[in-house]
Amino acid sequence: MSKLVQIFSSRRTWAWPYVLFMALFVVLPLILVGVYALTDINGHFTLHNFAKFFTHSEAIQTFVYSLVIAVLNTLICLLLGYPAAYIMATADFRTPKVMAMLFILPMWINFLLRTVATVELFNMCGLPLGEGALLFGLCYDYLPFMIYPIYNTLQKMDTSLVEAAQDLGANRWQCFWKVIVPLSLPGVYSGIVMVFMPTVSTFAIAELLTHNNIKLFGSLIQDYITTTDLLNYGAVLSLVLLIIIGVTSFFGDHDAKDDQKGGLV
Amino acid sequence: MRRWLILALCALFVIPASAQSQLHYDVQVATTGSVALVDTFPASFQAEKINISRTLCALDDLNALDFVVTDRSSAELTAWGDSVYSYADSEGTTWTIWRNRQESKNRSQRVLVQNGRNAFMSYVQQATAKPSHAVAWMGWILAGLLLIAGIVYGVVTVHQRRRERDLPSVQRETLRRKRVSRRRHIGSQAYLWLLLTVLYAPIALIAVFSFTESKILGNWTGFSFDLYVNLFSGRADAGLNSALIYTVVIALVAAVCSTLLGTLAAIGIYNMRARQRKIVSLLNSVPMINPDIITGISLFLLFVALGFSQGLATVCIAHVVFCTPYVVLSVLPRLSRMNPNTYEAALDLGATPSQALRMVMLPELWPGMLSGFILALTLSVDDFGVTFFTKGSGGLETLSTFIYSDARKGGLTPELRPLFTIILIVMLAILIYINIRNNKQEEK
Repeated sequence: MSKLVQIFSSRRTWAWPYVLFMALFVVLPLILVGVYALTDINGHFTLHNFAKFFTHSEAIQTFVYSLVIAVLNTLICLLLGYPAAYIMATADFRTPKVMAMLFILPMWINFLLRTVATVELFNMCGLPLGEGALLFGLCYDYLPFMIYPIYNTLQKMDTSLVEAAQDLGANRWQCFWKVIVPLSLPGVYSGIVMVFMPTVSTFAIAELLTHNNIKLFGSLIQDYITTTDLLNYGAVLSLVLLIIIGVTSFFGDHDAKDDQKGGLV
Repeated sequence: MRRWLILALCALFVIPASAQSQLHYDVQVATTGSVALVDTFPASFQAEKINISRTLCALDDLNALDFVVTDRSSAELTAWGDSVYSYADSEGTTWTIWRNRQESKNRSQRVLVQNGRNAFMSYVQQATAKPSHAVAWMGWILAGLLLIAGIVYGVVTVHQRRRERDLPSVQRETLRRKRVSRRRHIGSQAYLWLLLTVLYAPIALIAVFSFTESKILGNWTGFSFDLYVNLFSGRADAGLNSALIYTVVIALVAAVCSTLLGTLAAIGIYNMRARQRKIVSLLNSVPMINPDIITGISLFLLFVALGFSQGLATVCIAHVVFCTPYVVLSVLPRLSRMNPNTYEAALDLGATPSQALRMVMLPELWPGMLSGFILALTLSVDDFGVTFFTKGSGGLETLSTFIYSDARKGGLTPELRPLFTIILIVMLAILIYINIRNNKQEEK
């Protein structure tokens, strides 16, 4: 009994329930994705599912298309978001915080509602739904995720470096490209990760914005995983997505997602 | 030169503004004898003007229809689309017009007019060029304002230049610099506001149309609080009510569990040795890096493998999984800020571990716990992907999944609009509160 008390008064052990919980509900499920991918419906080991993926033209095409859409969306978000973040971080506003907040607020509203609202806006203006609507909606949904991390790094940037560059004779462009951009790269990386990864894996947005005419990889996974017979094949597709995510987060900032919402509170 | 450029820009705005047209329908009802034309459908759709042809139509043809008018109960026709407009004619019969969204690409479509057991055929033609008045007016007003602004700007610049011509060159140079920096300021401000306008346009659309009782968005039928009254008196869709209750229950359970678990874990992690701490922190970041769909699918596979029946319990577990890491991250900074010896001091002075926890640790940690709790609440309410895969097929819906299935059917339950507006306002209040609190803390 006294030993038990001793164990629990050592605060190190307080994390044990959490570690156990995570092992059961985070690590084990991820391993299970791999297990399901490597077995057939009866639980026997097989590589057939992987072979199917490489010969399944619909899956490959959707995969490539999703990557292209995700890259395009990330690029648009970067092109639109960087100037906004830069202006907010450098211009002298009376209320810079309120401005930043206005950009972040849509991030806190359910993205499905925002997507439905976009669809309604397109309907109301008589614009057709399709690829254009998809890109607009994706950009609309993920732009705040690009602006916020860039804004954060730019705001914390040491302004004396910029002043030093100016004193040493750099003009506005040189100052921007050689000092400010390199200093803001960490923010840009985490912005790219935060936009790219959800775009690749999105499944509801594409469906709503295109009347289910355009399928992204996420929707494909959803289709297979919810069909009991094809569950193992769905696991292969998820594994492919998992690999993409692993690669992106390896290249990107490791703490990218910390910025997401945690940074605000 | 620049003045002409501005004028040209104004013209560019004027042309699309006047050409901007809204979806507009002419309803042409084919009859055996006469053809009645009802313009600006559906806003001024008048029952008296229709002579319904007595041609019977097989219900199988319904899939090809854009609009269906019926006085039947809605349950029979929901498969084809949502009711968009209903009205009562002079004899007191209620008619409903149905819109089939799948076929909306087609510009001219038939309408099925249904009354009782008989189905009647007629036609709907979509007019292309009649601009909606509101949109056109807004366009013209915007264009006019831009034009006036352009002219004023041009006149002012010309006037300034004329005055400056006599000044010495040094003074002229400083004035030019000032002008350039001001122009830059105005340009960057304009860019931000333009971006914000686009970002908020869909949100504003929903918020504005929450104050009218019309079933479809974009059809203003007068100011009213009916949707708010419906929402709070429980007269809204039954599915929406249960989804709301489930959302709140799940969010509260998940937030409470993850706050308790996360706080304990944070204390544990803080007291670990460096290597252990690194491993646990890595584990902690996995659910945050994983996108929703992966978390959802992996948990779905776990529950399938373990043979759990999916429902409320599995959704709660899943929400605790992705909320707890955020709680841990918001409690950890508080721990590193407090004096690590106070807890030991309390023990040395004779406090039991639970007393020391309650009286020494908790007062220091609660701000972190509170922000973790709020974060967990919002994350849980906001979640769609994870819930979608772990809710099972027992009919459990949260707000997100309800919106999803609602939108897939082709419309938005009108009561969602006031709900959305309320959520918007609450979020705004929370954000403002947090920012004020942070500012105060920074001042300290």
